[in-house]
Amino acid sequence: MIEAVIPQASLLKKIIEAIKELVDEANFDFSETGIRLQAMDKSHIALSFLHLRSDGFSEYRCDRSQTLGINLNSFSKILKCAANDDQVQIKAADEAEALSLTFENSSKDRMSEFNLKLMDIDIDSVDVPDMDYQATVSMSAQEFARIVRDLSSIGEAVTIDATKQGVRFFAKGDDGSGNILLKHQKSVDEESTSATSVEITEPVSHSLALKYLANFAKAAPLAERVTINLIEEAPVMFEFKISDMGHIRFYLAPQIEEDQE
Amino acid sequence: MGIKGLKQVIADRAPAALRTVEMKHLVGRKIAIDASTSLYQFLVAVRSDGQNLTTSDGSTTSHLIGLLYRTVSMVEMGLRPVYVFDGKPPTMKSGELSKRREKREKAEESLKAAEEEGNAEEMLKQLKRLSKVTPEINEQAKRLLKLMGVPHVTAPCEAEAECAALAKAGKVWAAASQDMDTLLFGAPVLLRNLTAPAARKLPIEEIRLDEVLRGLDYSCEQLIDLGILLGCDYCDSIRGVGPKSGYELVRDHKTIEHIVKLDKVAKGVPEEWPFDQARELFAKAEVSECATDFVWEKPDTEGMVQFLVNEMEFNEQRVRSAAAKLEKAAGKGQQGRIDSFFKVKPRAASDKAATASAAGKRKGGAAGSAGAKKTRK
Repeated sequence: MIEAVIPQASLLKKIIEAIKELVDEANFDFSETGIRLQAMDKSHIALSFLHLRSDGFSEYRCDRSQTLGINLNSFSKILKCAANDDQVQIKAADEAEALSLTFENSSKDRMSEFNLKLMDIDIDSVDVPDMDYQATVSMSAQEFARIVRDLSSIGEAVTIDATKQGVRFFAKGDDGSGNILLKHQKSVDEESTSATSVEITEPVSHSLALKYLANFAKAAPLAERVTINLIEEAPVMFEFKISDMGHIRFYLAPQIEEDQE
Repeated sequence: MGIKGLKQVIADRAPAALRTVEMKHLVGRKIAIDASTSLYQFLVAVRSDGQNLTTSDGSTTSHLIGLLYRTVSMVEMGLRPVYVFDGKPPTMKSGELSKRREKREKAEESLKAAEEEGNAEEMLKQLKRLSKVTPEINEQAKRLLKLMGVPHVTAPCEAEAECAALAKAGKVWAAASQDMDTLLFGAPVLLRNLTAPAARKLPIEEIRLDEVLRGLDYSCEQLIDLGILLGCDYCDSIRGVGPKSGYELVRDHKTIEHIVKLDKVAKGVPEEWPFDQARELFAKAEVSECATDFVWEKPDTEGMVQFLVNEMEFNEQRVRSAAAKLEKAAGKGQQGRIDSFFKVKPRAASDKAATASAAGKRKGGAAGSAGAKKTRK
């Protein structure tokens, strides 16, 4: 038996919007401690991770660990039937064939219930080791989304250079090039959402497909800030914190320069 | 060609090993392609009014057209193909080869008969049967690949064995061939239909050896024995042994030595049946040391124009646009893949673990939700 209550449907809507771009279907692993999801796109270039801790829900109960396979487009469609400040209750019995979703409005005089068919999903998953990143850039999530949007009009890939001085985003296309520099601010206090900070042990640079970053940027409404974690010879990790609840992480395999071979 | 019924056994017993993929999902993959099966596919498929396309003086160009456009679309999608050509045929194959010769002779006769009758459909059928990859076709294909900047090698012996060896050695990720033999040569991943004509819309099939062995609960040696029982290029099949019984025989009796002693099998064994030599050919195929790293280069556009336009009478604009696509793809950074950094969890193992734990946890009832279960074809 699984039962979880989220006070505001808008949060769940944003989460599903952020992951449904990468994969059509995904397995949600429910356990006592919360919900986890790993989804790798079919071409194995990008990976998304969702973790929602049980204590972030207003109610959470999971008697036995269960994996629920869900079509994300259908999930998103059903969530559109909820108003943004409706309370959402998710329920599934132990051998459920469907997930039950109940939306209740704030004045508690309207309740709607929907069922979403569950499915067995055949999807590759990977073991992601813990890594000591060489550089961690912390910046405004809005700013990140804007840079991705701006540079997407220039080229197909962006090079992210992290140095002590700051982070530089560079794109080149058939018709020209673009270059955006965000300088490292020495004292980024937690409240300031627009400043950028770079924690670094060694300068790192990676070239990434903007098509995927545009998908990741869909998570920007979930969080004030995003961290970009870089290390040589490994995928770049983007983390959006979901307040008091968990995070979404995206991994993107970098493009390899020809001359390195 | 290939092994009768092996795919059926895999589909039935090891469904996790078999899946269809789209070409775009193979981005960044290095793939060794069995050139002979690809060129044959092009010769059969690239036709107009049933005839191969030719230059004005009658030289066939179907193979070059197929090779050019199929390779360009692969490279554009970010794949990195290496073509592997056949070397000398193995002596063991002489039986198979003489059988093919007989078939050709028969096809030639049927063609003549069809011509006399004026049966166009039958003529086309026989013409396709007569398609043959000649040494000249191979040489032209190699010349074109060189100009396109796409690497190729000539196998010491059989191309599919070399493809498998390259994949095993990690020089490429997969072997692409129509021949299921390639799995018996030990290719960790086999792709089928990669060079099948786009018009036929055949999905690309990905077959994973480790999942095959896991699903069948076989060793590599047992898989080879099953292939030999079902009939490979080197040995005839045994009368009365089909995919289902073959699978069960190897499962229950482990090796061919034991199986041929069984009464029900012994009477179907052909008089001359050198299974041990066939086994040797699969297990210890003659392959290169797989020491070279492959390099993909920029195309030689003018060279392509000289060859394809001036000699083979292709449309210049089309050749230049194909070359431009290759040039663009060569200039782009190669997209990396998550699975080259993080280890992919085995598929069947996780399936099994999931169902096992689910069965343990759930009282009665099928694991998962039978009603909403998605079956993979």
